[in-house]
Amino acid sequence: MQFGIFTVGDVTVDPTTGRLPSERDRIKAMTTIALKAEEVGLDVFATGEHHNPPFVPSSPTTMLGWIAARTERLILSTSTTLITTNDPVKIAEDYAMLQHLADGRVDLMMGRGNTGPVYPWFGQDIRNGIPLAIENYDLLHRLWREDVVDWKGRFRTPLQSFTSTPRPLDGVPPFVWHGSIRSPEIAEQAAYYGDGFFANHIFWPREHTERMVGLYRERFAHYGHGSPDQAIVGLGGQVFMRRNSQDAVREFRPYFDNAPVYGHGPSLEEFTRETPLTVGSPQQVIDRTLGFREYVGDYQRQLFLMDHAGLPLKTVLEQLDLLGEEVVPVLRKEFDSMRPVHVPEAPTHAALLAARDAATSPEEAR
Amino acid sequence: MTRRTLAVVSAGLGQPSSTRLLADQLAAAARDELVGRGADVELRPVDLREHAHDVVNHLLTGFAPTALRRTLDAVAAADGLIAVTPIFNASYNGLFKSFFDVVDRDALAGTPVLVGATGGTARHSLALEHAVRPMFAYLRAVVLPTAVFAAPEDWAGDDGDSALRARIRRAGAELAEQVDRRPATSGPADPFALTTDFAALLAGHDPT
Repeated sequence: MQFGIFTVGDVTVDPTTGRLPSERDRIKAMTTIALKAEEVGLDVFATGEHHNPPFVPSSPTTMLGWIAARTERLILSTSTTLITTNDPVKIAEDYAMLQHLADGRVDLMMGRGNTGPVYPWFGQDIRNGIPLAIENYDLLHRLWREDVVDWKGRFRTPLQSFTSTPRPLDGVPPFVWHGSIRSPEIAEQAAYYGDGFFANHIFWPREHTERMVGLYRERFAHYGHGSPDQAIVGLGGQVFMRRNSQDAVREFRPYFDNAPVYGHGPSLEEFTRETPLTVGSPQQVIDRTLGFREYVGDYQRQLFLMDHAGLPLKTVLEQLDLLGEEVVPVLRKEFDSMRPVHVPEAPTHAALLAARDAATSPEEAR
Repeated sequence: MTRRTLAVVSAGLGQPSSTRLLADQLAAAARDELVGRGADVELRPVDLREHAHDVVNHLLTGFAPTALRRTLDAVAAADGLIAVTPIFNASYNGLFKSFFDVVDRDALAGTPVLVGATGGTARHSLALEHAVRPMFAYLRAVVLPTAVFAAPEDWAGDDGDSALRARIRRAGAELAEQVDRRPATSGPADPFALTTDFAALLAGHDPT
């Protein structure tokens, strides 16, 4: 099982000091956090993509390329890549390029984006959100698998004899996850292609995740990719830890109370009850996270949100130490011991390459 | 015997509340009429005051806390709705509007709705027509012709045969008739149900 972190990339005032980091501070903090993720033994770093303040990560492959050059093992991913407003041709090129530079340590997660005004900045309309996600991804899927593409659709200019360069590393496209909170069409899309499905699972009640993952698993089997429990599932999560759980609650409360999205709304206690947010000791985080499996089944990837709401870099790095040293080793062991042998790991470049080579072995290829 | 459910929503803020009193009288009138027509009636009272914080939290976070979710589902699943608000500043109060702002968009489509209001003066009475009725029309509910407004003087000297009493009986009978002529509701639509498949989603996007 893979463990990692995902970042939204918000620039938020630290409510305990009133300090607002500069964009440079925040961008550098994000890359420092990514390097720390590898240092403490995590598997994945994923960055969001946003094109409006207070968010900074508008250019994910620039950031991930920088991180790739300074890491050895870390898988670089996104949370999410906007499949609606990015040109699928540019996604195909950018992430294939990153794949080569990172020696295959790349996958990505498609998302629609829920901010209406962003769409027209890129020539689109949020009312076409689902059709854009369907058409653009279908083109992207072909661009990574067919050397020469002739294509015509509703939302971009046609392609004639187009070759996206560079071609994917070893001819193996990056693995793709599709992220959605509550759109059954996106679970269907992930299932159709046999891609992964990632449930945001933060800010939202577990019932959303349970229903969406259940639908994805059922449709994954319907399209002949394997049994429902062999579908590739990722979950988000949000935690804040201190050795003593009362210290965690006391320290995190001002960040919670003033956070973007849920701040000034429910109490910390209500929100931890209604959503997967866990604020407490490492053992509490372990227990809660192991419980996710009870309603989504055995899954392949767990990403935690660790660095939002104005938490200072020093605190985030301490959180990553706790996550890497005390939480993930236990989760890895426990999840692995419970997972049946027929349930696959999350696909990596090496695994996809090996599977491709096995499928085209000399005796079969004649 | 057909089982019918009526959700009885009050946005009254006081305790006791004249808005709740009016809602209960409208509910009793509708129930008596439905029972007379051979139905088995269940009333589901909803006091929005109890959900005030959850309604605001839903507005801020985009999802309903568990207790509010149950109430929203109960309202959506009801065969008929009685909705009563105090009139503030010539319109429904904020709590009433905020609650119906978080009701699922299609939850009340086709549902018979009896609207009522209370106010400090009879001069507020047309707020039912210019504010409450259009809101439910937007939600595609079937708003009954009789809307019931109760000013302080309407409660005075109620000998069981006042003009307010007569309006309550008439409105209750209208709601009962509309509920009675409809099949029992199957409950709210499942937002996570897949209503299409990938071939339909991809149609028109990929010429190959």
